[in-house]
Amino acid sequence: MESLLLQQVMNGLIIGSIYSLIAIGLTMIFGVMRISNFAHGDYSMVGAYTAVFILGWLPGWLGWIGSLIAAAALVGLLGVLTEKLVFRPLLNRWTDIDIIVCSIGLFILLENLAQLLFGATPRMIQDPFAGATIRLGFFSTGVLRLLCLLFSAAAIAGLQIFLIRSKIGVAIRATSQNRLAAQLMGIDINFIYRLTFSMGAALAGVGGVFYGTLFAVFPLMGGMPTLKAFAVTILGGMGSIRGAIFGGFILGIAESLGGTYISMQYKNAIGFIIIILVLLIRPSGLFGRKEGS
Amino acid sequence: MNAAWRRRALTATVGVFFLLLPLIIQERYFLHVLVMSGIYVILSLSWNLLAGFTGQLNLGHAAFFGIGSYTSALLAMKLGVSPWIGLFVGGTAAALFGFLLGIPSLRLAGPYLAITTIGFSEILRLVATNWVELTRGSLGLSGIPMLDPIRIGGVTIRFYAEPEYYYVVLVSVAFTLVFMCRLTRSAFGYSLQSLRDDEVGAQSIGIHTSSFKLATFTISAFFAGFAGALYAHFARLVSPETMSLHLTFDVLTMALFGGLGTILGPILGAVTLTFVSEWLRFLEDSIKLDIRLVAYGLILILTVLFMRQGLYGVLRSVVLNLLPRGHNKE
Repeated sequence: MESLLLQQVMNGLIIGSIYSLIAIGLTMIFGVMRISNFAHGDYSMVGAYTAVFILGWLPGWLGWIGSLIAAAALVGLLGVLTEKLVFRPLLNRWTDIDIIVCSIGLFILLENLAQLLFGATPRMIQDPFAGATIRLGFFSTGVLRLLCLLFSAAAIAGLQIFLIRSKIGVAIRATSQNRLAAQLMGIDINFIYRLTFSMGAALAGVGGVFYGTLFAVFPLMGGMPTLKAFAVTILGGMGSIRGAIFGGFILGIAESLGGTYISMQYKNAIGFIIIILVLLIRPSGLFGRKEGS
Repeated sequence: MNAAWRRRALTATVGVFFLLLPLIIQERYFLHVLVMSGIYVILSLSWNLLAGFTGQLNLGHAAFFGIGSYTSALLAMKLGVSPWIGLFVGGTAAALFGFLLGIPSLRLAGPYLAITTIGFSEILRLVATNWVELTRGSLGLSGIPMLDPIRIGGVTIRFYAEPEYYYVVLVSVAFTLVFMCRLTRSAFGYSLQSLRDDEVGAQSIGIHTSSFKLATFTISAFFAGFAGALYAHFARLVSPETMSLHLTFDVLTMALFGGLGTILGPILGAVTLTFVSEWLRFLEDSIKLDIRLVAYGLILILTVLFMRQGLYGVLRSVVLNLLPRGHNKE
């Protein structure tokens, strides 16, 4: 009984680290640009497909590492492109409905373009370790799943160091805190926007490779990571990176335990129930700034 | 002839045109598409009341549609309630949920409201999928009864097929249209628009914005539920897929493409896009590519970027330019 609990907590940590990674991208873009991008999960979908193709061409763990890099690069580029073509023209208009509706248009467009290009058949990302598992004390887990956890944790830590230590990272945080003041300090806002957007998209792309490793890869897969990422960001506070990290792990573990002990069918509802509870009890989230500040 | 009379004459002409349409074009397939576009008109008008006139982005509209269709279908199948009554009970059930969803939504705006309403709709879809004893799960309900025949004098009208059902939908659309016109041009409607444009400002002149939002959520949900019940007894099949996010996105595309915050816009958008997507379906069959939804995505993005007034706004400016100068003020 105890080992089942530990096993589920471990599974929750693995899926939670992936939620965190994808949600950090979303929350960064929201924090800096005030864009709620409902197409965010489609960046994960594109990342997952990149991995499918690269691993088909170069199997083994080298291909898997390569596909992480390729997914980051390709999806980062896609991020720059969508930012320039779709979101930049909207930025000075500044109404929420326009931006959300436009991102929904992008969501519909990307998932159906993918359906057109790749077909509707679900695919799998090949396991370079051929399903090998290791036992760690009370629980066992796939090597690949463990690597997903380690790599997401490393990516999150790397990002935190970048944001805290580097000059550009400070500029990104400054823009997120107060756009006007940042501009007055001589920060090139447009550059920061583009950089943040492509970084956020690239994080979702890498997260998509992990997500596609755990679940199937198909054109319409992007909806789930989008909704999960929103649940995580609302739980953690929109715009807060620390919130997205904790929120991701909390949602992952809650889903994993809820799926085992409460109801498997309603596992996907847990995120929404968390959203509604958070919004009723503490609308600014765990680490969010209070409205108006 | 003054403007009011000209408007009345135009309305009457359009009304007569739609009344006579099944006599002119008798092809069943065409009437089928017309019925579907009528249902979409009611949906996008009701969505537009929240998003366009009140500024509340509700992404859970499909859930109201689903509640209406499941309620009316289940009442008819399990309890033998007449579908005519079911139409209104379905609408009322949806209105009840609209009111409930409206309560948490009072404190929320923008992305928070959007994601909460998505959550509401997805939770209901999960319930419809997993409550197998009642809803038969993902199989859906099939063999839903049709509308009962009506006997007037010695004539019995049966609602087996398109021409008759077309008139039911036409009356429903007309009722929705008149209601929305009246509502948006009343003090109530102006209050909604003022709270959309500046919520604090509206409060400062004594508009109790919370009650207005709640009332609008309820009304909007009623019409969506009514449309759902209409659909259930027409298609005679409802499944959890009917309340998926894609329905909400279709409705949203129609309202935006037609013209958000106008009455004629959503009607134009719903009818145009229903016919365009049928046409694309034929095209897909011949070129073997699923381009229908790609087109929807593109239309949505391009409308927001370049055509914010929608189709209605474009047509309006074209017509105003054609009219002699003196009429431009209208």
